[in-house]
Formats: sequence, structure tokens, C-alpha cells
Amino acid sequence: MGLISKLLGIIFAASGIAILFFGSSDPVWSIAYYILGLILMSVGLTLVTSRGESKERKPPPPTVTEIRCDNPECTFKEIRDFQKADYILKPMEAQCPKCQSSMTIHGIYVVREEESE
Amino acid sequence: MVKGELEFFEMIQMQLPGLEGDFTGLINIVFLVFIIMMSLYGARIQMWQWLKQIEAGLVELERMKKESTQKAIDTFKKFGRPEDEVVKELARWLDYFTIMPVDLDPAGILKRLDHLLDERRDRFQEFVSELAPEGILSEHQSLENTLEVTQVLDLVYRVVRHFYLIGKKTGSQIMIMQIHMQMPDIMRLAKAYFDALDAFAEGKPIGDGIGPLVVTRFAREYGGTPDSYVHEISREVGYYPIEVEGRIVYALRATGPGGTVGKPGFAVKKLVDDNKGKIARIITVDAALKLEGEDMGRVSEGTGAAIGDPGPEKHAMEQTATENDIGIEAIVIKEDEAAAVGVLDKRILDSVPEVIERIKTSILKRTKPGDKIILAGIGNTIGIGL
Ligand SMILES: [Zn+2]
Repeated sequence: MGLISKLLGIIFAASGIAILFFGSSDPVWSIAYYILGLILMSVGLTLVTSRGESKERKPPPPTVTEIRCDNPECTFKEIRDFQKADYILKPMEAQCPKCQSSMTIHGIYVVREEESE
Repeated sequence: MVKGELEFFEMIQMQLPGLEGDFTGLINIVFLVFIIMMSLYGARIQMWQWLKQIEAGLVELERMKKESTQKAIDTFKKFGRPEDEVVKELARWLDYFTIMPVDLDPAGILKRLDHLLDERRDRFQEFVSELAPEGILSEHQSLENTLEVTQVLDLVYRVVRHFYLIGKKTGSQIMIMQIHMQMPDIMRLAKAYFDALDAFAEGKPIGDGIGPLVVTRFAREYGGTPDSYVHEISREVGYYPIEVEGRIVYALRATGPGGTVGKPGFAVKKLVDDNKGKIARIITVDAALKLEGEDMGRVSEGTGAAIGDPGPEKHAMEQTATENDIGIEAIVIKEDEAAAVGVLDKRILDSVPEVIERIKTSILKRTKPGDKIILAGIGNTIGIGL
């Protein structure tokens, strides 16, 4: 979306400049060309410099639940989607599939993208 | 050239003698008129443009307000009251206000403010338990938070609308200008709260909860358990008594996993009073607003009470620390507004080990064995278990 509008903008601006330069020699038409060239150029430049505000809202990143085994020697870790009634440090009913120890919710979080601007 | 157009030009030429065949004069006149118009009405055109921009923001704010109200309705109606009653009651409650105490006579203002805040909280709890009779305590607390977010969005919308309408009605430049200048900031805040609604409605932990989380992790490391947690030393606040390297640490936090911040300031005061002369240090852990450009989840430390209440709690902490000559220090985790009220960000969660390391360093360096220490985790405990 952004790329297309930028490209269009460049084309508009370029044709505007071309019309400005190679306008008609007829005095009446040269005025018309002059105005047309200016309008095209301003429209084009607006398109190029505008920061696509109409971009669609991204859905928020999914919330995940990280479950870890309570046994300090065991490294079992499970990450699944957040479920209602999950909370951090909630003891899980399920046992660790590796060593049969109890498990606890270690974290509930989202991974947000680094804003790059 | 088409016949009609030719006639038009000929007509203009007849109207303006002396311009025959030469349009430079006409262009000059057009430019002159344009410049005069701009200098006379430029400001008005600018105002019109600004009003349009405010209007666009207002439309967005209205959408957020409507969606959040709908979400609140959807959340509340799961707890036993029919939808039409919920809608009616919520509409009545959305502009609930609190009148700040008079500050012309500052003596005792914090006491009065505290009293008002207590009363406000009571009314909220009463309202929520009436509107959601089937919910349990932690659900009620999350519902309270949902309600508060909805209220904030409603308030923002109404205030912006007020300035927009006044500006439009009076054409007052200063009215339009000040709201237009603040619009980007207002929109950012509104968006942060709007995104947070999902967290509150579903009971997910938020960025502001990092303080209680750190304290609980720390307590767990030294043998604190949900069973050893001492409940309600002040409103919705309790602590784990734990032993760290020969010192006794009271690891204090609001009681989760419902959404509450409790009254940790008064809890600290109570602990100090109960252990007269034995508390050697108070360490507060809280989320703090980061500056734009700073890293999310950066840990930083300093002196003072890290707590962002309207005043009474912080005052209680500072007062009791001063009276008893107790060192008070703060460890904060930097985050932005959106992260503070939104679902806990991974980068903030990842800062927990470093904060715990800093707490240990502080305890080892600045207290001696046998001392008693208060470690207070400040923040909203939604989604953070004991
Ligand atoms: Zn295991």
C-alpha cells in the first residue's frame, strides 16, 4: 500500500515538473499548463511525504502462558496460549511429562515488536 | 478549443479592456486576490483545518469509548445480571467523580484525601458486587479495574468533545489551539488504556504488576509460600516473613491475583510501628515511566519511596522513614504508559532476575545480620498469584 502510493506520488510529481518545463507556447494554454503542473506536483509530493496514516490497525500480539517444571534440575518448559483463570505463579494440575514433578505458571506475557521509527 | 470556452475568454477580454490577448494581467489580479484572502482569512482556514483534525481524533475516541463500554457490558453480564440492567447501571456510573479536598487549609489534607479515596473505593466495590453478584473477590477486583478503564476513556472523550464544541461555537483560537496541540498525547494515552481493557477484562497481568511479581519471586527464593503469607495488615495488602542471610525481610505486596494496588504505604507504616526501632531499611520496587528512547525493562535505582499514589501512601512511607531514621531506597523498572497498563511485556518480565540481584546486593551491603528489612512491591496485582 505504502509503496504504491509513494510510486504514484513520484510519477505525479515528475509529470508535474515535466509539464511545468515543457508547457505550451500558446499564452492561454501555458497558463493552464502552469497551473496543472503545479497541482500535479503538489499532489505528488503530498503522496510521497505522507506517512500512510490509514494503515490498518494490527491485531494485538497474542498473550502466551509459560509453564515451567518446579524441579530445579529439570528444564521442561511449555509455552501455550493464555487461558482464562491463568495467573502467574499458579500451580498447575498437570504434572511434568519429563520427571512427574509439579509445574507452575512462570510467566504470562506478550512479545511486542520493537517500534522502529 | 471548444466554442463555449472561446466565448468565455472573449467575454473576459471584453470585461477587462487593456488585457486583450494578454493574460498576465488577469493572473496578477487572481494572485492578488488570493494573497489578500489568505492574509485576511488564513487564520480562519487554519482553525478550520485544526477543527477537522480534532474531529477525526474525536471520532476515534468515540469508537474507543463505545467499544470499551460494550466490552464492560459483556464482561459484567457474565456474572448474573441481565444485560439491560447492566447497561443502565453502567451508564449511571460512567461519570462517577471524586472531589479533591480543599487545599486552602493544607493541615491534614492527606488524611482527608485518604478518607475520600477510601470512600471512593468502597463505593466502587459496592457497585461492582451489586452488578456482578455471582463473581468472587478476585473477579470483582478485575471488574473494578475494567470499570475504571472504561471511565477514563469516557472522561477523555467528554473532555475533548467539550473543547471541540466550545471551539467551534465561539471560534476561539486559544480553545482550538490548546486541544489541537495536546491531541497526539491524548490519543496515545487513550489508545494505551483501550488496549489495556483486554488485559483487565480477562485478568491478565499488566506491566505495572512487576513490583509485586519481583517481591513474590524473591520471597519464593527464600522459602516464602502462599501459606506463610500474612494477610491484610492494611487494606488488601499482606507480606511474606522470610529470612535472607541472617536478616528478617518482610516482603510486602498487595494480595493477588485479583486486580488491586491495596494500601502498601500504610502497610509499611504499620510494619514499622509494630517493629519499633528494629527496621533498618525500606526497599521499594515499582514500575516507572521510561523516557522515549530508553530501553523497555531497564532497571534503575535511587533514593526515596517509589510509589505513584495520589499522595497519602507516599506521605505515610516518607513520614515513617523520617521519624524512625530508616534508609529508604527505590528500584524501578522502566516502561512506557502502554506497557504499564497493557499485558505484561516479555522485556519487562525478563528484568526480574536483575532486580532480585540488586535487592540482594542492597541487603548485603547496607544492612547487617539481625536487622529487619521491609521490601515493598508496589503495583497492580492483577494476574499475579501469591
Ligand atoms: Zn520436570
